[in-house]
Amino acid sequence: MASLITATNISKVYHKTSVPVRAINNLSLEITEGEFTAIVGPSGCGKTTLLNILGGLDQPTSGTVTINGVDISRMKDSELIDFRLRNIGFVFQAYNLIPVLTALENVEFIMLLQKRSRKERLARAKELLEQMNIADKADNRPGELSGGQQQRVAVARALASNPRFILADEPTANLDSVSTENLLDLMARINRERNATFIFSTHDERVMNKARRLIRLVDGAIVSDEVRP
Amino acid sequence: MLAILAWRNVWRHKGRSAVVIGAMVVGIWSLTFGGAFMNSFLLSYIQTAIRHEVSNGQIHHPEFTKDYDTRFTIAEPQRVVAFLNENESVVDVARRSIVNGMIASTRQATGVKIVGVEPGEEARVTELDSLLSEGSYFEGVAGNPVLLGKRLAEKLKVKVKSKVVLTFQDIQGNITAGSFRVAGILDAISNTIDETSAFVVRDDLNRLLGVEGAVHEIAYTTLPGTDDEQLADAIQAAFPDETVRSWRDLSPLLVFMEQWMGATLQILIIIIMLALAFGIVNTMLMAVLERVREVGVMIALGTRRSRVFLMIMIETLFLSTVGGPVGLLAGYATISWLGKRGIDLSDYSAGLESIGYESVLYPKLFISDYLMIVAGVLITAFLASLYPAWKAIRMQPVDAIRGV
Repeated sequence: MASLITATNISKVYHKTSVPVRAINNLSLEITEGEFTAIVGPSGCGKTTLLNILGGLDQPTSGTVTINGVDISRMKDSELIDFRLRNIGFVFQAYNLIPVLTALENVEFIMLLQKRSRKERLARAKELLEQMNIADKADNRPGELSGGQQQRVAVARALASNPRFILADEPTANLDSVSTENLLDLMARINRERNATFIFSTHDERVMNKARRLIRLVDGAIVSDEVRP
Repeated sequence: MLAILAWRNVWRHKGRSAVVIGAMVVGIWSLTFGGAFMNSFLLSYIQTAIRHEVSNGQIHHPEFTKDYDTRFTIAEPQRVVAFLNENESVVDVARRSIVNGMIASTRQATGVKIVGVEPGEEARVTELDSLLSEGSYFEGVAGNPVLLGKRLAEKLKVKVKSKVVLTFQDIQGNITAGSFRVAGILDAISNTIDETSAFVVRDDLNRLLGVEGAVHEIAYTTLPGTDDEQLADAIQAAFPDETVRSWRDLSPLLVFMEQWMGATLQILIIIIMLALAFGIVNTMLMAVLERVREVGVMIALGTRRSRVFLMIMIETLFLSTVGGPVGLLAGYATISWLGKRGIDLSDYSAGLESIGYESVLYPKLFISDYLMIVAGVLITAFLASLYPAWKAIRMQPVDAIRGV
């Protein structure tokens, strides 16, 4: 399988206090297309930082990240914004939907940024909400949805742009067990059916159990990398 | 969708937005009404000056205005009057003979501008009769009647029916004098009328000047809305040997006051809009800072910073301008109502009239003033949006998502 993401010797050092903090420590990693990968580890081990760097939200202090052969680690801010729009889907722990837009409009929003036609946007947004079993809430605003429902809208939004991979930072942290199960089943199904690449950061056992690859981080370095059948 | 997003964001905190929108409504209403009220003062002054002094236009021999030499009379006054009377814009016409001379009572003497008028014409053109405070309008005395301003009468220590002597050069350059009786005392706002003018019947003056039918000045009034410059040009074209001037040429002070109206409104707009701008910036900053995460997520998802900037600008524009039409309509309604009814300041009329204003003022705002206010609101909205929008685009998505 071709490599989708290649991180080579990346480090991230924060200088916000008098003592520099090394969040990622000379880490190298390869993700191939279609993976369903969980990055796990204790709090403060660098999961979110790694995800941010892989997603082009943050840049490594040293090392390189290439996505589909394109080095994103030295891209300009405006180039990164466009790159994220075309290549990466995000699912956040706190859902982070736009509260004044309906579920349908939230899914449509990203396609609008991609300058797709209104007809195409509407059709795709409806289709995705149906796949997420939330079509009946299309006209509801996030405030009128449960946490599980909001997170399903967030996944639909992440998929809407046809990204090369989806980064999900602790996607189940705020969900109850039923919502978690539903969401994980949905994402696993999309992974299987569409060969969509998912990378999670989590310390939720249920996510770990579903993942087909488990990368364990401690102090910003990979301590184990387990691929499951 | 950016516009939809911005519009919905405005209504996210209804109460907070309502306060800003309410402030804009009150601010714009204050501007329109305040501007119209100030205009009413200045227009009142200008109208009073036109009505009682300069009229809408005057015609002279080109040489006469230089040093009031009585030899320079209007060549064909009857033809000029006939031309004016035929013009639909002209309401009334008054002919005058003018000479500078001396006025003497038994106790005092002073320099004076002697104006020979046709009483009926003058009453229609300058409402000279309305200024009468004592005596009668060229009547009630034996001999040549004269009307004097109150201050001039006080200076000469004369009363109604007192005798005065007017001395001046006749058309041949000889000194001549005539005896006149004070028929009435005028109480005028104008210093010229009050202190330095003596009004006599034109035929009486012409007889002493030694030239029958002489006319040195023709003044005319026009219908409201007449373009006095254009009319003056038309008369000038018909009578190229005379000098025709509209009130704007005759009184630079009135032109200055007219220009001052616009300048005052501009100053008022700047003051009120500056105050409102701080309120808008404050509200928008709050709106942006409490949406740090949301804006960060938008940038993370792929929204260009320029679009975020635009969204905040549109949001500010909505917040600033949604109250605009309401404020303008409220102002327009107030001005329309008071413009017909008038604002009665008769409690202060003595003071007002002494400085050239009328006791009932009619607020008026011109279309250009409304446009200036609209432009002021738009510029304010634009400027007020810059800082919050700049704050928004400086957010780093990774910090914003983390909630820093």
